[in-house]
Amino acid sequence: MFESTLLIRRQSAPGWLSGLCYFGGLASGLGLSALLLMFMGVSSTDLYQEFVVQTFMTLQGLDQTVTAAIPLILVGLGTSLSMRVKFWNIGIEGQLWCGAMAATWVSVNDVGPEPVRLWLMMFAAMAAGGAWIAIALAMKLAWSVTEVISTLLLGSIAFFWVQHMLFGAWRDTVTGFPTSPSFDSAERLDLLGWGQVHEGLWIALTAVAVCTWLTDVSRFGLQAKAVGANLRTARATGLPVLGTVAVFVLGSGALCGLAGGVIAAGTEYRLSQSIGAGYIFSGIVIAFLARANPLGVFAVAVALGGITTAGGVLKVFYGISEAAVLMVQGLVLLSVLAAQLFSEYRLTNRRPV
Amino acid sequence: MMSKIKTLLKSPGSHKAGGRPPALLLQGIDKTFDGKKVLSCAGFRLEWGEVHALVGENGAGKSTIMNVATGVYAPDCGKVIVDGRDVPLRNPADAIVAGIGMVHQHFRLVGRFTVAENVALALGGAGRRCSIGEAAHLIEEKSGELGFSLDPNARVERISVAEQQRAEIVKVLLLGAGIMILDEPTAVLTQGETRGLLSLLQRLALAGHAVVLITHKLQEVADHCDQITVMTQGRTVLDAAPMAVTTIAQVTQLAFGEVKEKPPVQMGHFGDELLRIEDLEVGDGAVTLEGLTLSLRAGEIFGIAGVGGNGQSELVACLNGLIRPLDGRIVLTGLDLTNASPAQRRKAGLRIIPADRFDSAMAGDLTLSENLTLTSLDSGRFGPWWRMSRKAMIRDAEKSLKDFNVLGGTPETKASLLSGGNAQKVLLARELSAGTRVVVAHSPVRGLDVRSVNAVLDLLAESAKEGAACLLISEDLDEILHMCSSVAVLNRGRLSAPLSGADLNPTRLGELMVGHV
Amino acid sequence: MIDLVLAWLTVLPSFTLPLLLASLGLMISERAGVLNLCPEGLMAVGAMTGALLVLAGYDPMLAVLGGVLAGTALSLVFGVAAVVFRADHTLAGLATVALGLGITGVVGRSSMQKPFDGLARLSDTAWGAGLPRLLGQQNVLLPVTLLLLLLVWIWLFRSHSGLRLRAVGEDPAAADVVGIDIQLTQLGAVLASGALAGLAGAYLSVASAHVWVEGMIAGRGWVAVAIVIFAGWRPGGVLLGAALFGGAEAAMLRLQTLGLDFPIYLGAMLPYVLTLVVFCIACIRRSGDNGAPSALGRTYLRQDKH
Repeated sequence: MFESTLLIRRQSAPGWLSGLCYFGGLASGLGLSALLLMFMGVSSTDLYQEFVVQTFMTLQGLDQTVTAAIPLILVGLGTSLSMRVKFWNIGIEGQLWCGAMAATWVSVNDVGPEPVRLWLMMFAAMAAGGAWIAIALAMKLAWSVTEVISTLLLGSIAFFWVQHMLFGAWRDTVTGFPTSPSFDSAERLDLLGWGQVHEGLWIALTAVAVCTWLTDVSRFGLQAKAVGANLRTARATGLPVLGTVAVFVLGSGALCGLAGGVIAAGTEYRLSQSIGAGYIFSGIVIAFLARANPLGVFAVAVALGGITTAGGVLKVFYGISEAAVLMVQGLVLLSVLAAQLFSEYRLTNRRPV
Repeated sequence: MMSKIKTLLKSPGSHKAGGRPPALLLQGIDKTFDGKKVLSCAGFRLEWGEVHALVGENGAGKSTIMNVATGVYAPDCGKVIVDGRDVPLRNPADAIVAGIGMVHQHFRLVGRFTVAENVALALGGAGRRCSIGEAAHLIEEKSGELGFSLDPNARVERISVAEQQRAEIVKVLLLGAGIMILDEPTAVLTQGETRGLLSLLQRLALAGHAVVLITHKLQEVADHCDQITVMTQGRTVLDAAPMAVTTIAQVTQLAFGEVKEKPPVQMGHFGDELLRIEDLEVGDGAVTLEGLTLSLRAGEIFGIAGVGGNGQSELVACLNGLIRPLDGRIVLTGLDLTNASPAQRRKAGLRIIPADRFDSAMAGDLTLSENLTLTSLDSGRFGPWWRMSRKAMIRDAEKSLKDFNVLGGTPETKASLLSGGNAQKVLLARELSAGTRVVVAHSPVRGLDVRSVNAVLDLLAESAKEGAACLLISEDLDEILHMCSSVAVLNRGRLSAPLSGADLNPTRLGELMVGHV
Repeated sequence: MIDLVLAWLTVLPSFTLPLLLASLGLMISERAGVLNLCPEGLMAVGAMTGALLVLAGYDPMLAVLGGVLAGTALSLVFGVAAVVFRADHTLAGLATVALGLGITGVVGRSSMQKPFDGLARLSDTAWGAGLPRLLGQQNVLLPVTLLLLLLVWIWLFRSHSGLRLRAVGEDPAAADVVGIDIQLTQLGAVLASGALAGLAGAYLSVASAHVWVEGMIAGRGWVAVAIVIFAGWRPGGVLLGAALFGGAEAAMLRLQTLGLDFPIYLGAMLPYVLTLVVFCIACIRRSGDNGAPSALGRTYLRQDKH
């Protein structure tokens, strides 16, 4: 099929071509999404208003965007770290749930003195996320169990665990809803006085800095690059492969766990069933579009935060499910992936022989 | 005898046998792989009823031009004429219809399928659908006709390489190929098997087939082929000359350039023993190494000759620490490295140049400076663990590239973009750095151009002169005889006793290489 | 005790069949070398389309067919990305799942949680009235699924086109030189997986739950992916794996209706834990050759140097 066109693999694509394909794919994905939304009755001016003007160009819209971006930055960084050592951490939701549960556990049981409680919650969240991914990592190292499946299954398991806690031990006795009791004020991330934006922003920015240091400045960065590029070479040249993989994969789990803790302590102030929903693809989309670069993650996460915010608005005014955001993610990812064809291969017309 | 008969049948020099148009005519073929021209205006002319040798160095474009003829590669330009007709070869299916079959160097057989399933698959692809049972029957019939036995119900991955080759030949013939192309078919065969195959090819030619034999073994060409075409660097330099009027010396010069008598590198004054391998047993890959013992002294270049696939890769991977031996010891100056990690081996001064550098020595996606730095990250030369100094990396890399005369790249160039010779020099720059005591080099010059070959071999000789011990594993006898004063042969996982002095000659080595141990 | 087992057997198909169908399709796609993570999304669109059509007043069988077509359509998107545009199979698969879940959320929002009659039980049909309870409680998709399993089994391992499909997944270079169209074969296999996953989804909504809710696939698509690996890409293993997971789920449901005081959500978690454990055991036992098609997930390009 398609034999009139020849595909020839390029050794390396010129920078302008990669860039063109990337942004072309991005534009066509977003354009396609816009068309679909218009097809469902959203007018084009509204689209522009909601997705561009309201979310990025007004102060109160921007604060919602930034609030939404905080956990997205964390999961994006998390997925990027594992991606760098070619570990497919797909089930980031599982680590996120575990992080949120650990933070809630600290809150519910009033662990530690009040002034450091919040710190404890965040550390517990990171530890729980790291521990949860450690299961998948151990399975992979010991028995070569593919992490795509194990992290996903662990994600489902963590979700049922959350349900179990919310409908059982942690059920809010005041409201009777399946949420944990509300966190005390000492257990919340303070608002910064700009809409809903909270201290989690500093956590996310610190994480960006730490990840930049890890991947671009420290020795681990080069080791991870070698492990990701060619595992056998990394082994044969005597690099500490196991240590490098452990640092990046556990770090990935810890960041995703931290995201769960930050959502619980920064926006929801409790553990609820809606905390982790929809993050499963966000991590992959952000990490892929940002090419696993921490600063890129920041930019893409803010953009996706805007789309999420606008999606919320669409739900209120047009009755369009927030699943529209998921659809946009899928479309953009697919079209950027497909557009890479033009930078990875040289397309020529077959000349008659 | 055979070739004499045929010389009588045909008038030498005339290209047309019985007025029939040539079986295969390739004209003005250009082919570019990502900007690199592999064929430039190459041509090939094959007559019916002949065994035609296609000779040339590695990378001369022999396989590529034949892959054009089988519809696999689409050429940039050029003409393919089959039996006088201008046939469009858009894909392999077109080539099958045109009656062209190829036995690839890496067999195109599905390893998990049986021989019969593979044949049924091929026949079905050619529009002659048949059941597995019918295919099995056809295979038995055809292999009987060709005079060998082949179990149609054996899984391909379980049978020997020679049997796989027979399966390929039977498959190609059952597809009705009048034109048969064989890519380096004898590289994997023993001497007896080789003789059998070559006489089979001659019989096929006598029966009217046209056969192309891609090879670099000139003796085979002289004894069994009727015509010869020589290619160098993507061009046809000798176009369909009758073997009867061509001398081997002519061909050698055309294909491989001037062969100079090089003085042997080794003088025979060696220092203390550096590396000792005792009774090594490795059973990880397809070949099992058994009872491998050898000893290397300072300043010595010890050669391991042998046809590829007889345990060389397993030995190298085991020395590198990538696979664990089942038994035996590896000792480097009194230090037992048998179960040491790659990092510990490196620290002890053991350096490996594997046959495929981008498999287990370098990463193609990393830059040259990164590749050069990989092995000395913890030396502290490039800053503490929490802050790598890119500047120091680049400075070091610039010096290495200059010292080792690497062309075509800066420290920031991706390693995969370098030519083979330059990439190999980068690897040597890294591995022959300070602290090298033992170098294990596996086919270090395979596929390199002449100038790089000399540079690489000189570097190895240099490091031996400076007191390192070198283990040179290679299929190329000339290279080994030039470099080494004692040589052992690896055959089916077993290493022969070392030969040196008068015993060390091509004939004796050849016997050991193909002999059944 | 007998009653309990009978009751378990009665509900077993409704938990097993969707997994069986989805993994069967997946197996076809992966046997052709296309690593396929799509089922979660394909099942979602199948389930939603089926439910929407029933709610719109169409015959349930027609609705099931609609689900099949919806699954096929979405798998075409994946197929074009992965096979024609040579996108990374893992990423393209995940993007397709996101797209599928997104579409179902957006399109199906208004039809959430509206119960309907759905596909009739065999005992309610004209010809199935006399069937014993165990069979009577089932619907027509049970024999259809078993037949499909049998057909795929025979087709894959006994027919010529099955041989060709497997050759593409094992060694595309070898398949290419005997004139097999690699891309067409892979695209066909992906579409087949879409059709079967769509059927699996439609089964969940139209034949089993008789309602559609967002997120009703609940990770079953991922379980299907695990089942295929556990099964070593063999139909028999797929049947076993689906029965194992479905059986565990059905058992949990039965135990709950018995009034056993067992935490509901831990019970619901158990089949996933079981899958993970069994999956690990399968990986341990088959270290080395796990039966995966040799070229699974790899992009073959004829013009590459090889």
